[in-house]
Amino acid sequence: MMERKYLYLDYLTCIGCETCETVCAFIHDGSPNIRIYVTENKQYVPINCKHCDDAPCLRVCPTHAIYRDEDGAVRIHEDKCIGCLACLQVCPYGVPFYSLKVKAITKCDMCAERREEGLEPACALMCPAEAIQYGPLEMVLELVKERRAKNIPEHQRELSDEELKKSIVSGYSVL
Amino acid sequence: MRGMKFSFLCRSKPERTGKRVAIIGAGPAGLTAAGYLVCKGHDVDIYDKMPEPGGLMLFVIPEFRIPVERVRLGAKELEEEFEVTYYPRTKVMEGEREDEGDEFYERIVKLSELKEKYDAVLIATGIWNVRRIGIPGDDLEGILSPLELLFWIKGHELGYVPKEKVPDLEGKRVGIIGAGLTAVDVAFECNRLGAEVEMFYRRTIREAPAGAYEINILRNRGVKWFELVTPKRVIGENGRVKAIELLRTRLGEPDETGRRRPIPIPGSEFQVELDYLVFAIGMAPTPPVNGSYIATDRRARIVVDSRHMTSVEGIFAAGDVVNGPTKVGRAIKDGLYAAVSIDRWLRGEL
Repeated sequence: MMERKYLYLDYLTCIGCETCETVCAFIHDGSPNIRIYVTENKQYVPINCKHCDDAPCLRVCPTHAIYRDEDGAVRIHEDKCIGCLACLQVCPYGVPFYSLKVKAITKCDMCAERREEGLEPACALMCPAEAIQYGPLEMVLELVKERRAKNIPEHQRELSDEELKKSIVSGYSVL
Repeated sequence: MRGMKFSFLCRSKPERTGKRVAIIGAGPAGLTAAGYLVCKGHDVDIYDKMPEPGGLMLFVIPEFRIPVERVRLGAKELEEEFEVTYYPRTKVMEGEREDEGDEFYERIVKLSELKEKYDAVLIATGIWNVRRIGIPGDDLEGILSPLELLFWIKGHELGYVPKEKVPDLEGKRVGIIGAGLTAVDVAFECNRLGAEVEMFYRRTIREAPAGAYEINILRNRGVKWFELVTPKRVIGENGRVKAIELLRTRLGEPDETGRRRPIPIPGSEFQVELDYLVFAIGMAPTPPVNGSYIATDRRARIVVDSRHMTSVEGIFAAGDVVNGPTKVGRAIKDGLYAAVSIDRWLRGEL
């Protein structure tokens, strides 16, 4: 097994510019897996699969159609998926969606095809705000801390390494 | 910190096609288009009037939103790994027009010259003009353009603007008209530089384009927020701003944008004393033409077809100069899809 990679979206740093959504849609025939949601008071919340360390979708899938690949991405075996939507029921972020075209659940696969060619997930590479970080845990942790230091004080939080780590591996939002 | 990877679609430059593309404007649309085109093997040259590539991302948007290094490293990667050539401080123009930021360019190149020299041209010159409000006194000294103010402040921090050029805002009363992202960014920067900032908006915080969240952060920092007011005239003394006269408004029926229309209340005039005044009420496209050569619409936006091609075969356009002010992501999207068209057109498929 290769070193586990993480794809971390920092809500405190996101500026809601929609670059992630744009490049994700570009490489996925117009259907982005990452989306920016906007609250009524205009806070921007990028929502994407967190590839949780303890992924409830992976545990609940009755046909074992959900698996973790060697980089740690939570992936779908499209031919095993029966479309029961159990994964959607248990996902804390409501991420998986049923694609009528593929006839299976689809979601972010951390740019699986690109990773095979040695390229990193497009959203992380292109985010102008550097709100999306990709890599091994220690590296992501460093990059998130380094980037947050540039935030306005209102968007900085006193977090211990443990708390930030927990946020990165589980997807729990520590705000 | 790692740079934006505009060439996110490839690892290295493939075999050369021998085709040469000129991109005018090194902002998000131009740089993203360059990233796509180099991944398709084309040679790309980028012309920009500012001293360094990055556009509004580098020179206007505050550091806490988009870090300078993030943009710089991205532009540098295109140069070092993909042989993109930058021509900074170069304004491309067919005809004449003064825009904001013109003080940075040192040479002018004609659009028609680029058309002759290259196989294709992409215009991504953005929105480097500010909308004027047109009320009495709006040309007094002390009235600052939001764009100029932001690129003076950031340009100074980047080492391109002398200190004397940046107004000393410490303890000064700065009024800002508007509640969009530019207005909010001006408020953040003026507040950071020690000014007493007051914002004036003709609707309420609920309709403010920048959103209540950002505005409330500013209010918690001491920025004063006045809503349901609209400027009537600027009052000067010895040619300099002294105060602004405002009218109260009430909200009427929704307009074409779906937001309730502000209606001024007659007789409700009042004045607020100020040292500086910023009208952040919108920005306007700055195409490299002025009324001829390629088609533009009434609001100076370049007219393009579904291929992102302008009225001149072989000249394409993308980003805010086509769409008017939008978000960075929208400019990146436009740059990307325009580049797809350019590549297909160069291959004779379009």
